[in-house]
Amino acid sequence: QSEPRVTGLQLSGDEPIQIESDRLEVRDAEGIAIFTGNVNVVQGPTLLKSGKMTVYYATDGTAEPSAAGPDASRIERLEVDENVYVKTETQVATADKASFDMKTEVLVMTGKEVVLSDDGNVLVGCKLTVQMATGHALLDGCGQSEGAKGRVKMLLQPKSQSQ
Amino acid sequence: MHSAHGLEPGAIGREEAAFLKARRYSRKVRVVKLALPLVGAALAIGFFGYSYLLSPSSVSIGVEGTAVRDGKLVMANPKVTGYTKENLPYTLTAMRAIQDLSQTGMIQLEEIDAKFPVDDNNWARVLARTGTYDDTGNTLDITSPVTFKTTDGMTANLKSAFINIEAGEMSTAEPVDILQDGSRVTADTFKVLDKGKVFVFEKRVRVMIEPRKRPDGTPRDEAKAGN
Repeated sequence: QSEPRVTGLQLSGDEPIQIESDRLEVRDAEGIAIFTGNVNVVQGPTLLKSGKMTVYYATDGTAEPSAAGPDASRIERLEVDENVYVKTETQVATADKASFDMKTEVLVMTGKEVVLSDDGNVLVGCKLTVQMATGHALLDGCGQSEGAKGRVKMLLQPKSQSQ
Repeated sequence: MHSAHGLEPGAIGREEAAFLKARRYSRKVRVVKLALPLVGAALAIGFFGYSYLLSPSSVSIGVEGTAVRDGKLVMANPKVTGYTKENLPYTLTAMRAIQDLSQTGMIQLEEIDAKFPVDDNNWARVLARTGTYDDTGNTLDITSPVTFKTTDGMTANLKSAFINIEAGEMSTAEPVDILQDGSRVTADTFKVLDKGKVFVFEKRVRVMIEPRKRPDGTPRDEAKAGN
């Protein structure tokens, strides 16, 4: 396990979010908006790219259809699939899947290879859990199944100091 | 106002019976006051009888004035009211309706103002300049810019729209711009399916979600979008 710092990764309800994609299906009664094809999410400095993203939002009880979907505060959770790429001011993370819980502000990225690179340092594991509010992150290695904790591969560039 | 005199007395009798039966059949239909010369009324009733037979879901059409010009029936302030399968009423009004007497199922409409159910607690109001109402399919093909406003606060601006009133579905192959409290969606095509429960946008979809409003409703200053 290793505990890199992930800074600036901030997906919050109180900043405008812009989402682009090839297709969007809003199933308002179920409170789901499914973006597919070249999905691009921008909020402030944070950029998220993937093949698919599903937004789960609270329908305020009355099932009134709204084509435009939720305002930011009603978004509960984002599920991101098909090669996920997340970029903040200083770091880039890639994975197969990511899920982001807007309430707890925890981002979990999973995949055969979750890569977190920060100014030349590269960390590879299978699960990256980020507390967006604090930037505190936990990268778990792969191969948990054999009981032993999987090892995280870490490549530190000589010139950079450790965080 | 001149009008054709093709109808013999028998035809008027039969049409009269159809109108009265319809009124008895659906008490909810508001009788539209017809202040018309007799021939004009006969034409309107004929048209009403004809369309009632086609879509028995008690469609009623009222007209304030009719004229026949070069084989076309021109009606002033037509009003079509009827019920969808879920027994939800819809209304379709226009400044003018032009019906080619050779194709009575299709009606050209000008300055359309329609109100139809999206579902039982949400209504869409449609405003458009021109369109064609097809009585057989109960569809409205709007060929000019159209605005949709729903009672739950959604405003949609479309370049055109094909509406299947009966199925509560709508589609357009031209750009749309939709606003709903705090978020905005633009795309090159748009479809409403499944009686307004499913919205599908395709091609260059862009969603702008505004930040959470503070309790007093105004977004925080620094978080307000620049443009």
